[in-house]
Amino acid sequence: MSERAKIYVWRLLILVALLGSWEYLTGIKAISRTPGLYWIDPFFISRPSLIVQRFMFLASGEVRLNIWQMALSTVQSTLLGFVVGVSTGFVAGLVLGRNDRLARIFEPYIVAFNSLPRIALVPLITMIFGFGLAAKVVLAWTIVFFIVFFNTFQGARSVDADLIHSARFLGAGERQIMRTVIIPSALAWTFASLTPSISFALIGVVVGEFLGGESGGGLGFLIIQSLGTLNAADMMVALLALGVIGIVMALGIKQLEQRLLRWRPEYRKAA
Amino acid sequence: MIGALIAPTGGSITVDGTPVWSPSSNMGATPHRTPKPPASVGYVFQKDTVFPWRTVRRNIALGLEYRGVPAAERDERVREAIALAGLDGFEEAFPATLSGGMRQRVALMRTLVVNPEILLMDEPFGALDTHTKINLHAELLRLWGARHQTVVFVTHDLSEAITLADRVIVMTRRPGRIKMIHPVKLPRPRDVIKLRESDAYGAEYSTIWHVLGEEFAEHATAGGRGGP
Repeated sequence: MSERAKIYVWRLLILVALLGSWEYLTGIKAISRTPGLYWIDPFFISRPSLIVQRFMFLASGEVRLNIWQMALSTVQSTLLGFVVGVSTGFVAGLVLGRNDRLARIFEPYIVAFNSLPRIALVPLITMIFGFGLAAKVVLAWTIVFFIVFFNTFQGARSVDADLIHSARFLGAGERQIMRTVIIPSALAWTFASLTPSISFALIGVVVGEFLGGESGGGLGFLIIQSLGTLNAADMMVALLALGVIGIVMALGIKQLEQRLLRWRPEYRKAA
Repeated sequence: MIGALIAPTGGSITVDGTPVWSPSSNMGATPHRTPKPPASVGYVFQKDTVFPWRTVRRNIALGLEYRGVPAAERDERVREAIALAGLDGFEEAFPATLSGGMRQRVALMRTLVVNPEILLMDEPFGALDTHTKINLHAELLRLWGARHQTVVFVTHDLSEAITLADRVIVMTRRPGRIKMIHPVKLPRPRDVIKLRESDAYGAEYSTIWHVLGEEFAEHATAGGRGGP
């Protein structure tokens, strides 16, 4: 068996063992009566068979808001917040990164706003933007913007001065230097911030959905609703769905990164 | 200073009658705000300054792009440059896949493709092994033979200076002042291998070496100047 196959087999074995013991142990009433182990009970952690059942139900047309609609709403808000955050963060990072005076003027404001826990803004954002899509996107944006901003800022500052000199000797004007030297060099830094950005965008959106109620929809709403009805199985469905969404989006970013940074040696082997 | 990278402490510098630095322009210059380098000057840096995100072809095309040369002519000139430098087959390669010698060759062609009249070279082959270096010497002599640009070549390697230059200018240790200007009386075209076996080369070498030795410098700098 090849090394690759071995690794896959082990991964599968671990998954089966986890799901198997989860299903088996939650079926034994005596365990949940043992002090300290009360939580090994379908009431708290549900069980795989129940989760599948609830998933089938939530995915069917019998519910008012099915799981696909909720997932779509979450994905949509995340991507929107991500795109808006990355583009504004990139432009701001580039401008401040190449302009010392502006950077110094804005520094205290940026540091202050960035030190603010973004979760604390949720009620305020809800007050301003209501319970819908806008509030979720704004929340994701306030997080993503700073991640991308700081990376791009750093990237724009650390452009190799000799590359700029070479460009000038070859006849480049200031705009051409921006386009052919500074942006490509800063992009490598910006890309490094995209994977954390998408994860944080998702966090922002889910937190927004906790408060957003049914009009905001989304998987965060399903989680909070399940807490209200003490429905562990629904909560697990939402968590698994969020996990899948997170992985798919992170892989998508990785693909994009590999394409655009194919000039870097560390991406060449993988591409 | 010729390339407007750093300001002179005094006086003015003109390239073909156009001032690069004059006492008045020096005033406002800061490390971040230097005048535009003269268009007729090309610069090959000591460090590898090939743009890593551009392929060989697009690196060489840079200067032509900046100067707004039409795409058809650009492609043609880039193709010629690639053939001249023996980089065929590597047109679409990214610099990370090339050796140091090849990258420096790309940097040289990138500078030469815009036909500068003055070529400033700051220890361009300093980081390369002897074998690669000698090959690049031969190449530089060949390329220079076609256009006879003025080349100002800074090096720590005396053999390199004698092989390439018409005039060797020896600088003192800090503060760097001109110690000696020595014309190299070796005939051209020069063969980089045979040249070093000749007695004339040996004589030139020992003359300059003696002057360098006087400096007791650990980092003696020889400035070589080639051209008409």
